[in-house]
Amino acid sequence: MKSKLSAESNYDVLELSGEIDLHYSPELREMILGSLKDGKSLLINMAEVSYIDSSGIASLVEGFQTAKTAKLSYGLLKISSPALQVLTLTRLDRVFTLYDTAEQFQSHL
Amino acid sequence: MIRAINNLGTYVLTSIEEVGRTFNLLLIIAWKILLPPYQIFPIIKQVYFIGARSLTVIIISGVTIGMVLGLQFYNTLERFGSVGVLGSAVALSIIRELGPVMTALMVVGRAGSSICAELGIMRISEQVDALECMAISPDKYLVAPKLIAGILCVPLLNFVFNVVAIGGGYLVGVVLFGVAEGSYVNGMIDSVVWADVRLGLVKSLIFGMLITLICCAKGFYLHLSKYGSQGAEGVSRVTTDAVVISSISVLFFDFLIGALMS
Amino acid sequence: MENTSAISIRNLDVDYGSRRILSNINFDIRQGEIMVIMGGSGSGKSTLLRTMLGLKKPSAGHINMLGTDICHASQKELYKLREKMGVAFQGGALFTSMSVTENIQLPLREHTKLDENTIQIMTRIKLDMVNLLPYENLMPSELSGGMKKRAALARAIIMDPKLLFFDEPSAGLDPITSAELDNLIVMLKESMRMTIVVVTHELESVFAIADRIAILGDGELIQIGSPEEIKSSTDERVINLLNRTPRENIVDGDVHLQRLTRDNQ
Repeated sequence: MKSKLSAESNYDVLELSGEIDLHYSPELREMILGSLKDGKSLLINMAEVSYIDSSGIASLVEGFQTAKTAKLSYGLLKISSPALQVLTLTRLDRVFTLYDTAEQFQSHL
Repeated sequence: MIRAINNLGTYVLTSIEEVGRTFNLLLIIAWKILLPPYQIFPIIKQVYFIGARSLTVIIISGVTIGMVLGLQFYNTLERFGSVGVLGSAVALSIIRELGPVMTALMVVGRAGSSICAELGIMRISEQVDALECMAISPDKYLVAPKLIAGILCVPLLNFVFNVVAIGGGYLVGVVLFGVAEGSYVNGMIDSVVWADVRLGLVKSLIFGMLITLICCAKGFYLHLSKYGSQGAEGVSRVTTDAVVISSISVLFFDFLIGALMS
Repeated sequence: MENTSAISIRNLDVDYGSRRILSNINFDIRQGEIMVIMGGSGSGKSTLLRTMLGLKKPSAGHINMLGTDICHASQKELYKLREKMGVAFQGGALFTSMSVTENIQLPLREHTKLDENTIQIMTRIKLDMVNLLPYENLMPSELSGGMKKRAALARAIIMDPKLLFFDEPSAGLDPITSAELDNLIVMLKESMRMTIVVVTHELESVFAIADRIAILGDGELIQIGSPEEIKSSTDERVINLLNRTPRENIVDGDVHLQRLTRDNQ
């Protein structure tokens, strides 16, 4: 897994790529929760994610719950088809807010 | 005739194989408990099951045995006019012989049988295989905590047994028959030496290991025994075997240790 | 990647004592496919499964699984491989002293250092997948046979294994639960990229889930192929298995008489 966290004006963008499995999901969790802790909304770009396992999904879910409690926006951007399949399997595709462009996310802020 | 010899041969071979397997299990566990992760909580659970839950049985049998001893020794000693040594007679028999043996036998009946049955059921319902397939070592995860708990609990239970049994002897000798309290207690203190206590301790440590090992191995290796394919009946038979073999081993090793250490 | 082997079995012989259960088994299971191993009772399919799981040592031959030869691997190598494997046993093999949740979490607690919240969410995701979320705090003794099976599946996939073994998924289940389970198996393959090996004698679900089918009979591999190939098989034993024709015993009068009276001479 590779990741890049960049700050926009009023939200953070986390770019993920590669395989997210048991070894990397703790790192992912730290990044998501760290960014939300600073009180910034978070957009996670998942276009380059080739594989995500359920520990990765669990980290995304925990992040979403944390964002909701803190009344921050939280979205998944350009989700790749392998990742989308896993979300569908776990019935989470209707729980997360999925965006095709960053502009859509901005307009929801 | 040939068939009889054949059967005897098979019996001897399988017995030797089983003894080998049992001690191999001991060696595997002795090696694996040195490696992390350490299973503290499961050991506590087993100590509760083998130790704490056996207390009632130990106390009741201890008091009873103590009282019987008090009665018998009093009757015998009275004939020779030496009831003064009642305390030391009771204490020595309890500490050297009856304490370790009776405690071990009680633990076999109370906990050993259920340890064996539990492991046997886990074996036939594929729970042991499931652990193995989860890359969790079943000997370490299932057997080791029981073995450690057995080695810890039997000496402790033995101590409790000794105390209440000596109390039982006191009850009969001093309270019932009026033997002087001073001679009971002081005779006991004077005659019991460290070597007696050490003998009892060594016995109960070895018994504790022996009975838990036998009961664990019998249940854990159920699938390799001749009862392996008999389902629930196999569990009940192997449990009976485990109880019989561990009880006999206790008596045999009692003699052996006694002969070697005195 | 699609066509490389996840498991390859070469010249496999397995004996129990002096009895040969499997002889000269050769086949491959490709990555990302659902392979159904079929056969009647006594065909050796359970033994093949146990051998693939490393629970039974073969007398000869090799099984290469994700690059490890499990017949000659050290215990350490075997355990490392097993962390990438999930097994759902026929009767569930749930630990009776633990609740459903504790059962499912056991592999995570033993093998990972994931955060408690992550473990909780992962457990609930898997329970939800097998429709057992409302029953998470029950003990295995309070579950029905089908629920045990589903809980066992949840435990088998908790670590997102690359390889999933499933022993008799639909035996003893009602048709609806059975169909749901079939559906889930296919979904697991498609979205989690699992290679799945199913061992069964139930015909209904075989053709619904299998990418390829291997048919065992009397300890030998009779045929291996796609569901279509198996359906159009000309091998008598395969046809009999599919048509549920009873095995025909060739009765020789003398032999039969001897069989019945052997010990009374």
